[in-house]
Amino acid sequence: MAGQEHSGGIAEHLQYWSYSFDDSNPFMQIHLDTMLLTTLIAVGLISFSLWLRGKLVEGAPTGIQNFMESVIEFINQTVKDNFSVNNPLIAPLAMTIFVFILLCNSLDILPAYLMHHVAGLFGLHTFRQVPTNDLNLPAAMAVSVFLLVLYYEFKLKPGHFLKELLLQPFAALLLDSKNPIVKLLGVILIPLNLTLKLIEEFAKPLSLSFRLFGNMFAGEVIFLLIASLLLVGSVDDLSSVGGVVSGAMGLLVGLGWSLFHMFIGLLQAFIFMILSVVYLSIAHQPVEH
Amino acid sequence: MSIDLTFIAQIIVFILMVVVLWKLLYAPLNEAMEARTKKIESGLAAAEAGVAAQANAEALITAQLNEAKSKAHEIIAAAEKRAVEVNEEALNKSRREAEQILDNAREEVGAELERARQSLRQEIAGIAMQAAEKVVEAELDAKRHAKMIEAIIEEGLGAA
Repeated sequence: MAGQEHSGGIAEHLQYWSYSFDDSNPFMQIHLDTMLLTTLIAVGLISFSLWLRGKLVEGAPTGIQNFMESVIEFINQTVKDNFSVNNPLIAPLAMTIFVFILLCNSLDILPAYLMHHVAGLFGLHTFRQVPTNDLNLPAAMAVSVFLLVLYYEFKLKPGHFLKELLLQPFAALLLDSKNPIVKLLGVILIPLNLTLKLIEEFAKPLSLSFRLFGNMFAGEVIFLLIASLLLVGSVDDLSSVGGVVSGAMGLLVGLGWSLFHMFIGLLQAFIFMILSVVYLSIAHQPVEH
Repeated sequence: MSIDLTFIAQIIVFILMVVVLWKLLYAPLNEAMEARTKKIESGLAAAEAGVAAQANAEALITAQLNEAKSKAHEIIAAAEKRAVEVNEEALNKSRREAEQILDNAREEVGAELERARQSLRQEIAGIAMQAAEKVVEAELDAKRHAKMIEAIIEEGLGAA
């Protein structure tokens, strides 16, 4: 019975606070919790930027300026290591990806049921506290990066990209062979080439978004499991030895998982950033003849 | 887990954040870092230039010192040479003056000697006249016998 309640509780905590424009169309809804939290983070970041801008010093930096310069230096170095050409957009893009994802992931440090209970005070029954647990956010960022990659591919080497899209991996059949039958085979294989290349290209944003979403979603589920299995039951039964032991174990395991999950959040932000830079770097690489 | 309008909204939020954070956070921090890097690089370059200038100045000082020492040696050698020349000139001049004094003294001595001879000759002539007067007891005419007397005196002096 208690297990059924806990399972129901976890499932309930994995529901979004959403608003539907058209109940018959599942696409026509918006996750208000994701939008609220990302907007708050964006506003917080912009406010912080404005505040820091007014406090910048030319001399030796201290405090928060020193920390932010370290972050910028790290991102600049990462971009410099991966890019053979200079593109002023890449470093700010990488910085935004890293900082934004890191801040979103950091919300996971809040106790598992806290935001849900706070939302309950305002009459809301569902509220997700980590925006990166919503596939829409990682997918939006990954698709934005993917569109940028396509833009640079078409802009910098349109012929080469089209050739790769239509002829790889069987380009030799059409281009190198002098046998008309083999050439015809090369033409016939163009749809297959296109399919393979499209799968390869679409795998990039898919893997990018699902990696972040999967890690953060799994982390949240484990938090909820730790809380529901070790803490919720023990809170009701703190008078017994078993309840106290269960509660202590819950706190210990929860703390351990929090620390580990913070590291995972940092790692995922870095992975998302570095892969975006690498994909863009590949798009900028000159054609080898 | 579904894709819906949140996806579109998040793309807009993300693009806006890239643009806004680029202008408000990345650009000012990057400019501050680049300005500091340039300042440090120019400071290092100035320090290197200063070190090079110091080395040049030290080399110049050493060269000038060597030149000054060389000139000082030349001046000392010239002064010593001049001193020797002045000394020799003074010595020669003194020698010439001494010889002149000696010549003058000799001339004076000769003149005095001549004057003494003349005086002696006159006195002897007088004495001879007086002696002859007494010896021959005869009155002699001084003007008529003067030549003879002088010849006698010259012979006497020559014999003396």
